[in-house]
Amino acid sequence: MLCEILQVITRESLLVAQREDLRRVMEMLNLSEQHARTLLIYHRWDVEKVFAVFVEKGKDKLFGEAGVTAKSCKIKHAPAAMTCEVCMEDIPKHKATTMDCGHCFCNNCWTEHFVVKINEGKSRRITCMAYKCTAICDEAIVRNLVSARDPDLAERFERFLLESYIEDNQRVKWCPSVPHCGNAIRVEDEKLCEVECTCGVQFCFSCSSEAHSPCSCLMWELWVKKCRDESETVNWITVNTKSCPKCYKSVEKNGGCNLVSCICGQSFCWLCGGATGREHTWTSIAGHSCGRFKEDQEKQAERAKRDLNRYMHYHNRYKAHTDSFKLESKLKETIESQILMLEGKESELKDFSWLTNGLNRLFRSRRVLSYSYPFAFYMFGEDLFGDEMTPVEREMKQNLFEDQQQQLEENVEKLSKALEEKYDGLEDDNLKQSRMQLINLSVITDRLCKSMYECIENDLLGSLKLATHNIAAYKSKGVERASELLVRATKGNNSISCLQTSSSISATGGTVEVGRSSSSSLNFENGCPSRKRSKREAFGNVLFDLNLPAEVIDKS
Amino acid sequence: MVDCARIQKELVDCNKDKGISGISVTLDGDEFTHLTGTITGPVGTPYEGGIFQIDIQMPGEYPFEPPKMRFLTKVWHPNISSQNGAICLDILKDQWSPALTLKTALLSLQALLSAPEPGDPQDAVVAQQYLRDYPTFAGTARYWTETFAKRSSMGIEEKVQKLVEMGFPDVLVRKTLEIVGGDENMALEKLCTG
Ligand SMILES: [Zn+2]
Ligand SMILES: [Zn+2]
Ligand SMILES: [Zn+2]
Ligand SMILES: [Zn+2]
Ligand SMILES: [Zn+2]
Ligand SMILES: [Zn+2]
Ligand SMILES: [Zn+2]
Repeated sequence: MLCEILQVITRESLLVAQREDLRRVMEMLNLSEQHARTLLIYHRWDVEKVFAVFVEKGKDKLFGEAGVTAKSCKIKHAPAAMTCEVCMEDIPKHKATTMDCGHCFCNNCWTEHFVVKINEGKSRRITCMAYKCTAICDEAIVRNLVSARDPDLAERFERFLLESYIEDNQRVKWCPSVPHCGNAIRVEDEKLCEVECTCGVQFCFSCSSEAHSPCSCLMWELWVKKCRDESETVNWITVNTKSCPKCYKSVEKNGGCNLVSCICGQSFCWLCGGATGREHTWTSIAGHSCGRFKEDQEKQAERAKRDLNRYMHYHNRYKAHTDSFKLESKLKETIESQILMLEGKESELKDFSWLTNGLNRLFRSRRVLSYSYPFAFYMFGEDLFGDEMTPVEREMKQNLFEDQQQQLEENVEKLSKALEEKYDGLEDDNLKQSRMQLINLSVITDRLCKSMYECIENDLLGSLKLATHNIAAYKSKGVERASELLVRATKGNNSISCLQTSSSISATGGTVEVGRSSSSSLNFENGCPSRKRSKREAFGNVLFDLNLPAEVIDKS
Repeated sequence: MVDCARIQKELVDCNKDKGISGISVTLDGDEFTHLTGTITGPVGTPYEGGIFQIDIQMPGEYPFEPPKMRFLTKVWHPNISSQNGAICLDILKDQWSPALTLKTALLSLQALLSAPEPGDPQDAVVAQQYLRDYPTFAGTARYWTETFAKRSSMGIEEKVQKLVEMGFPDVLVRKTLEIVGGDENMALEKLCTG
């Protein structure tokens, strides 16, 4: 399953999004808002999970686990005064509060208890004060009592409840933008995917760092660390240069023997850095014995050098493509202005979306290409999968992958070059030809990306025996963009409506989300799936012109 | 700020029936922030006859936060550190309720002495011994009770001296005393039968 439905939740729509889930549970199970919230917080805002537990284990179990106590019908006729078991004072009845679980304490003690719990960061699950009572306190009572003592704290309580929707929710993540755009993204179903926030930031939903497929999350984490790690540079310097004992300039070793000379004329020993004369053989320097010429040291240096060279190989290519990506983003303006010019011209061709599509294809495939290098670094290196493959296997797989990578690289460069053409200066015939060429290149590049992902998923990562690495699926259309959560005042009109009779839809909670369909996946409901499918298709059509794969453009 | 009124009431309430419960609490100085609790070792356990002192620190938010308790008297028990007296007990941590009191907490400690929970140990060494070699565990626990938790009875050194004077080697005497849990007569019997 792909994550087909993404929504941006802004600070403003957070309440609406949360209300929506609350409302579904409230209506389904005929509960008050606070009880619905308690259930949802306990089940990490997974509405389906709440319903599933309800169906499988029954109401009592569902409520008991989460700490929901249905109010007992009997109103206890407590005496006019009581002794509060916490402060041990005699309290008139009107200064005490009884929770749904039936436990009664004085308002002062309740307030103190709430204050301590909120300050401990436990706003989401404040339990009753009675020993072994797991009932969750009525949030309205918490709100009232705390705001009488400390309005600021009451506000914090409110915010904690609200943000629980994001922080405790497996389907929702804050956008990692810095400075923060204030948005969170909600996905349906699939948690391993790449998403784009309305602020433009693209990120991996599972690790919240930049979109990095075809690297797995772990590979990406290691790569970022490796790139940041200065030890690599330090390593490079110790492996490749030494400072001259006379002028302290860095001197590179170039040749097999251990006598090096600085441009200042000073000769010195590569192994110990000591100044020497110029007389030497392959293994010794005349008049100099540093005693550090040991074979294992040589070997160690060789190994470090080999590792470093390997890293540099992959890093250079990774960096080259990342740099190209940055340079090419300037093409966007050029292409846009060319399209404007072309549209103003008398021509047979009216639609120039093939240019925009070609450019988007370039951006996407360039990204894939750059991340394919850190992927290869780990896939065929010893850090992660040293024990997974025999050297022969490794070599075979590496060849297979590098063939694909190379083909993709060639086509991406061709595509990049094609997009530099001055289309607005072309006559119709030439323009048509260029159009054909660009569309072809786009299609091929898309296919190559797709088959590279398939190769990674099936032949490379898929065949690992010891480790599990997963990557976000390839999307021809690029990283999935989140859509704004729509808030409409109309009632009905969404998939939720097939959950209950129309009369039960509250007029106030009328929030509708485009493509919102997970509610219909309840297995004890009938008649929803077909509707769900049509919804998704309709949703897909909205994006038709901009982000479809070249194949589809080709057909149309 | 500590709720002095409640603590005062607790002190009165707790010390009212200390003869029966074997539990008492006293103030350490004038502050209500530091108290000392005392419990008697439960009958029929290796702690029988011992008097155990517990250091009690009252947090500012008491009773909305649990009191911090620690054994001052050295105890050999899976849920109590043999090093520093730290206690592993749920009601002193996340299961605390403001409706509990110092007395109920001390009663729980007494119950813990009767029924250790080696599955949730504070002292791994003791817990291992408890599970694998209960007789040795019981012997050591009794010896510790005898040595550290009995103020009035004869000190262990005196017993050692007495038995050594009877002609048994010092090392053997100490070892035997430890095995039988400090009981002088049982030690003598064991030493005589070899
Ligand atoms: Zn009270
Ligand atoms: Zn209760
Ligand atoms: Zn954002
Ligand atoms: Zn990731
Ligand atoms: Zn020099
Ligand atoms: Zn040379
Ligand atoms: Zn040297």
